Amino acid sequence: MRNIAEIYKREIRFYFTTPIAYVVMIIFTAIFGFFFYRSLVYYSELSYQLMQNPTYAQRIDLIMGVFSPVFRNNTILFLLVIPPISMRLIAEEKKSGTIELLFTYPIKDVHIVIGKWLAASTIVALMLILTVPAPFMAFGFAGAAEWGPVLSGYLGLFLMGISFLSLGVLISALSENQIVAIIVSYGVLLAFWFLGWIIEPSSGKPIGKVLGELSIIGHLNNFVNGVIDTKDLVYYVLFIFVTLFLTLRVLESKRWRG
Amino acid sequence: MIKIEGVTKRYGQTVAVRNISFDVERGEILGFLGPNGAGKTTTMRVITGYFPPTNGNVWVSGHSVLDEPIEAKRQIGYVPENPAMYYEMKTTDYLKYVGAIKGVPRAKIKERLDHTVERCALKSVVNKRVGELSRGFKQRVALGQALINDPPVLVLDEPTTGLDPKQIYEIRQLIKSMAGERTVILSTHILPEVSMTCSKVVIINEGEIVAVDTTQNIGKSLVHSHQVELVAKGPSRKIVESISAIDGVGRVDTDGDMYTVETEKDKDLRSQIAKRIVEEGFELLELRSRSMSLEDVFLKLVTEEEGGERA
Repeated sequence: MRNIAEIYKREIRFYFTTPIAYVVMIIFTAIFGFFFYRSLVYYSELSYQLMQNPTYAQRIDLIMGVFSPVFRNNTILFLLVIPPISMRLIAEEKKSGTIELLFTYPIKDVHIVIGKWLAASTIVALMLILTVPAPFMAFGFAGAAEWGPVLSGYLGLFLMGISFLSLGVLISALSENQIVAIIVSYGVLLAFWFLGWIIEPSSGKPIGKVLGELSIIGHLNNFVNGVIDTKDLVYYVLFIFVTLFLTLRVLESKRWRG
Repeated sequence: MIKIEGVTKRYGQTVAVRNISFDVERGEILGFLGPNGAGKTTTMRVITGYFPPTNGNVWVSGHSVLDEPIEAKRQIGYVPENPAMYYEMKTTDYLKYVGAIKGVPRAKIKERLDHTVERCALKSVVNKRVGELSRGFKQRVALGQALINDPPVLVLDEPTTGLDPKQIYEIRQLIKSMAGERTVILSTHILPEVSMTCSKVVIINEGEIVAVDTTQNIGKSLVHSHQVELVAKGPSRKIVESISAIDGVGRVDTDGDMYTVETEKDKDLRSQIAKRIVEEGFELLELRSRSMSLEDVFLKLVTEEEGGERA
C-alpha cells in the first residue's frame, strides 16, 4: 500500500509541478463551460416557445434539455484531453531512462501501474469536480432540482474517463515515444467509439449488437439518462481491468526481452 | 554474499553474456573490468533484477533474483551508468521518495536522509532540483539514492565516467571507504580504477569471463613473460640480434634507441643483457625491469581471446 501511495504522490506532484494538470483542466473546464452555456441558452429559448404548448412543455426538463447533451458532448472532450494525461505515464520513464532505477527498486510492477493510474484518475476526477458549479447554477435558475440523473451522469463520465485513461496507460507502456503514444491513443479510442457504428445495432444482426455493446461510448447513455445499469458498470470495470492487466503483461514481456 | 551462476542473457538472437559464474564475498570490492560492449552492464542489470537472465540464476544474500525478486532487490543499491533520475524533484524529496519506495520505515527516513546527505556531501544542494545539478553532484545524488536504505550490496556501473579528476578522486575515496562495510561490485573500463579501489577483479570480454582473481595476483598468474626495457646506442639491428641470442629471451621490440625485451617469466636476465651489450661495444644508457601493468594483462587477455576465436 505504501508503495502505491509513494508512486501516486510522485505522479500527482509531477502533474502539478509541470503545467500539464493546469493546462488540461483549464481547457477542459472552458470547453465544458461553453457547451453548458450554449445548451442552457438553447433550453431557455425552447422553454419560452413551449410555454404556448403545455403538452410539449411537460415532456422537456433540464436533464433532457441540458445535462444529457452536455454530458454526451463531454465524450469528445475526454477524447481530446485524456490521452495527454496518460501518454507520459510509462513512455516518459522509458524514454528518460528513469525506469531502470524504478525496476531495480523492491516494488512490484502492479504497484507502479496502479499508483500511476490512480494519480491520473485523480486528475480526471478533479476535472469533473471543477464542473460541479454548472448543475448548481442550472438548478438555481430552474428551481426544481433533480440531482439523481446528474449524479449518475457524473459517475458515468468518471468511469468512461478512467477507462480512456487505462487504455492510454497500456499504449504508454507499448511505446517510448509520447507523440506516438498520444496519436495511437486517439486512434484506438476513436476505433472503440466507431465500433457501434460499423453495423447498425438496431438492424437486428447479432454481430451489430455485439459490436454495439463493445463500444466504449454506448455505455454512457444509461448513466446520462439517470439509469445505473449493472451491465454498463461491469463493462467499464472490465475494460479498466483488462487494459491494466495487459499493461502489466507488456511490462513483463519487455523485461524478459531486455 | 552474491552468487552468480551460469548466467546467460540473450536479446533476441544476440548473446550479451554467456554462462557467467562468479562469487563476491561479504565486504569485498569487486572490479568488473571489460571493454565497452563486453556485457558489463547486462551482467549488472541481471544482478540488480532490472531484467531476469535467460539462463542461470543470481543469489543476493541468499535470495534468488528469479524467485524472490523483491527481497533480492532490497539488498542492493544500484547506480546505473548515466543515472536517469526524476529531474523535476528536489534532492531531498527525491531521496525521501526513493527511501520510501525501498521500504525505509517512516520513523527512520529522516535519520537515513541526514546520514546519506552527510555521507555523499550533498548538504549544499538539498534544496535544488536534481536536474539543475552538475554532473558530479548528480552522480553523488545517484549514489545517495543507492545508499538511502542502507543496503548491504552496492552495484555501480562505471561510476566515474564523465567526471572531472577531482570528482573522480572523491567518488573513488567514497567507494574505498565502504570496503568491509558493504559488498561493492564496480564496473569500469578504466584500469587504474581497479588497481586503486578493488580487492578482486573479474575480466569480461565479448560476454565471457576471461579471468577472476585478486588484484595483486592477476598480474602474476596470468603473465607468461617478464619484460626488460633498455636504452642503448648503436646499430639497432645488431643490438636486437645480440640480445636475441641470449638464452631465455623472447621477442625484442625496438622504438628508436629504446628496446623492450620479453624474457621468460621466472628468469631475471637483466645482468646478462647488460653484460652482452657492453661486451659487444654498444653504449648502455638505461636498463630496468618492467612488470606488466593491469593494462597489459587486460590487453593481452582480450587480444588473445580474439586471436583464438579467429583461428
